[in-house]
Amino acid sequence: MLDLVASNTTVKGITLRLPPVLPSARAITLGVAVTLFLLLCVLPIIYMLGVSFVGRDGSFSVGNYRQLLIDARQRELLLTSTLLGAGTALLATIIGAPLGVLLARTRLPLKRMLRIALVIPLVVPPYVSALAWILMTGSTGFIARWFGSDLLSAWTYSLTGAILVLGTSFFPLSMLATEAAARRVNGRLEEAGLLIASPGRVLWRITLPLIAPTVAAAALIIFVLALAEFGVPGLLRVRVFTTEVFTAFSALYDFGAATALAVPLLAVALIVSIIAKLIIGERLLVARRNLHPGLVLRLGRWRAVVIGFLAIILAASVVLPLSTLAIEAGQLERIIFALGTSGDAIFNSLYLSTIGATLTCALAVLLGYGRARSGARLRGLVDLLLIVIFAVPSTVVGVGLIGLWNRPGLVGAIYTSQTIIVVGYLARFVPVAALMLAASVRQIPVSVEEAAEVAGASWWRTLTRIVLPQMRTGLAAAWVVSFIFCFGELGATLLVAPPGESTLPVRVYTIIANTPPAEVAALALLQVGIILIPLALLGFFSHGERGAR
Amino acid sequence: MKGEAFVRLARVTKRYGARTVVDAVSLDIAEGEIVALLGASGCGKTTLLRLIAGLETPDAGGIRIAGERVAADGRNISPPRARGIGFVFQDLALWSHMTVAGNLDFVLASIGIPKRARKTRIEEALQMGRIEKFADTYPHRMSGGEQQRVAIARALVARPRLLLLDEPLSSLDADLKANLLAELATMQKALNVTTVHVTHDREEAVTFADRVVMMREGKIERVETVDRTRFANT
Repeated sequence: MLDLVASNTTVKGITLRLPPVLPSARAITLGVAVTLFLLLCVLPIIYMLGVSFVGRDGSFSVGNYRQLLIDARQRELLLTSTLLGAGTALLATIIGAPLGVLLARTRLPLKRMLRIALVIPLVVPPYVSALAWILMTGSTGFIARWFGSDLLSAWTYSLTGAILVLGTSFFPLSMLATEAAARRVNGRLEEAGLLIASPGRVLWRITLPLIAPTVAAAALIIFVLALAEFGVPGLLRVRVFTTEVFTAFSALYDFGAATALAVPLLAVALIVSIIAKLIIGERLLVARRNLHPGLVLRLGRWRAVVIGFLAIILAASVVLPLSTLAIEAGQLERIIFALGTSGDAIFNSLYLSTIGATLTCALAVLLGYGRARSGARLRGLVDLLLIVIFAVPSTVVGVGLIGLWNRPGLVGAIYTSQTIIVVGYLARFVPVAALMLAASVRQIPVSVEEAAEVAGASWWRTLTRIVLPQMRTGLAAAWVVSFIFCFGELGATLLVAPPGESTLPVRVYTIIANTPPAEVAALALLQVGIILIPLALLGFFSHGERGAR
Repeated sequence: MKGEAFVRLARVTKRYGARTVVDAVSLDIAEGEIVALLGASGCGKTTLLRLIAGLETPDAGGIRIAGERVAADGRNISPPRARGIGFVFQDLALWSHMTVAGNLDFVLASIGIPKRARKTRIEEALQMGRIEKFADTYPHRMSGGEQQRVAIARALVARPRLLLLDEPLSSLDADLKANLLAELATMQKALNVTTVHVTHDREEAVTFADRVVMMREGKIERVETVDRTRFANT
């Protein structure tokens, strides 16, 4: 094999320069991964962009866009979507950023447990939270029944309601980003300030300015995620771009309108992602170093305020929604009954998500490796592409997949089988898994790979025996996150799932209008329960591992 | 110099963008010789070492190891694993998910040594590095000096023709460094392995090497032969 690599041959003193005979195993493997990524994740979006310029007669036209501009309803849609994104980002940051500072710079009791409890809202699919709030404050919900009059439903089914639900779902992102950023601040900088100023002033003038860019970038990412959300505005009857794309396609079968509606969303997602990436630079993927903190805030008389704040947040985002579901579901028999009637959907969800998460990680680990080991300029571009693709709303991905895959032959055979649901999972979640795994690869020094290379190991052997084993915690985390995402996926699956096949989220979403709340609540509760199992396992094992070091 | 050069660098050049890091360096290293590459950081000494190992691709010039062309005309002909090299990295690059014996075993398995032969080879290497009792220990549970020994044992276990050291001792305190350097010299003589040692520490270079090559801005500034008799019986 080595002889094949040698490609310069000297014939009678003349050196012939020949091209490399064989591309390396590394180049082939990464090339295949990138090709799959382009086919699965990028092509549906390019397809959507292309189709939006096709008129009803099949020729090039900007008619879809003209329609979009002159229609007053569309302008309202843009306004509502933007307000939903901005409101959610603002609320999530107001809640999340202070929590992040508290976790990083104060001594709180049970901090570890507290952090886990505060992350729960992020892993519960937003549509489940929306469902819980409907069961609580909707027209036939708890509060209406208790007070005998419908006090809060108008407020629940509104933009404000959607912002509250999404804000309380996404704040952990801001919290985790803020905490990580605060932990990256070199404690010496704070200590230098503490020699001359009060802790409060050091926090305000030194620590916070240093972490501000990360907080801002997290807010922008939340903006994009809220803009891309389908389940919450769908359930709370707020008309935004994502729900209109769904309606245009599934109710009116207007492919052109659906794609044209998707483009403003794509444009906003692109612009905001670029800004976020510019602000955050490489920080997104820098390993969390636990530097010695220079500043530890004593809460003193603020202690009561802080504990009150924590109690309110936990009550509103975790305790109230989950206990509402539990109470509505009622007895265990109801849950067992729901298990029976929706058994197929639950089974489908479990095994499709397992396959989806596994394939997602398999592809993402190669992409993440390529990303982590590529040059700085390419890295920035790849990050941006990954963020933008992740920001593409589920319904847009769904319509793109239908346009691409709904055709005769082998491709159509995939489209009419359950495989298309897994294709949807990959299209949506490979980018975020790749970003996570790239961060994990970057924690492994290149010299560790070079040592294996010098020792005589092939690239493939180095990858499987040296690189992958060293990133096992990162791989486990990426798998669990992918599983949680796949298990809660609604928008794309709703569009692409073949007739008669459904997953748990799709089933909940479609039966909600004409099924007793108890059954819906039981299914939603089941959804949360299944998600918490791998999460708890991950927490348990990663804790054990850290303890061993 | 005795016989034909074991390592021959001929006008080796490496550029990063507009910057020439290694500038047409030519150097012959005899078999069994220890050469120190000495210079301030950024002088190109580590890059030159990585070029010899095949971890970087030269932009021009050629490299021969044991008469075989491993790099020529701006390309690597042999990949690192075909050059018969032992390399000790500055950060040691121990595989943290494997035990000490596992680290050595991975090297031997990669070059296709059968399992039974590997066991004795590992024991030999551990003995030579005086780390027998750490065979089943994970590297991160060991002290800095012990980790250095593991890195050296790992570099030598495959009986390389050429040992490349990239400032492996720079993080140790002076006493420990002197001890390890003396042991390294003993091992080197016993195995008669040609050695290139990159360092920024003049004293380290002079105590260990037969010849000291001083580098500056990518070029060889001066080559000094160390007079061994000065150190005799000290």
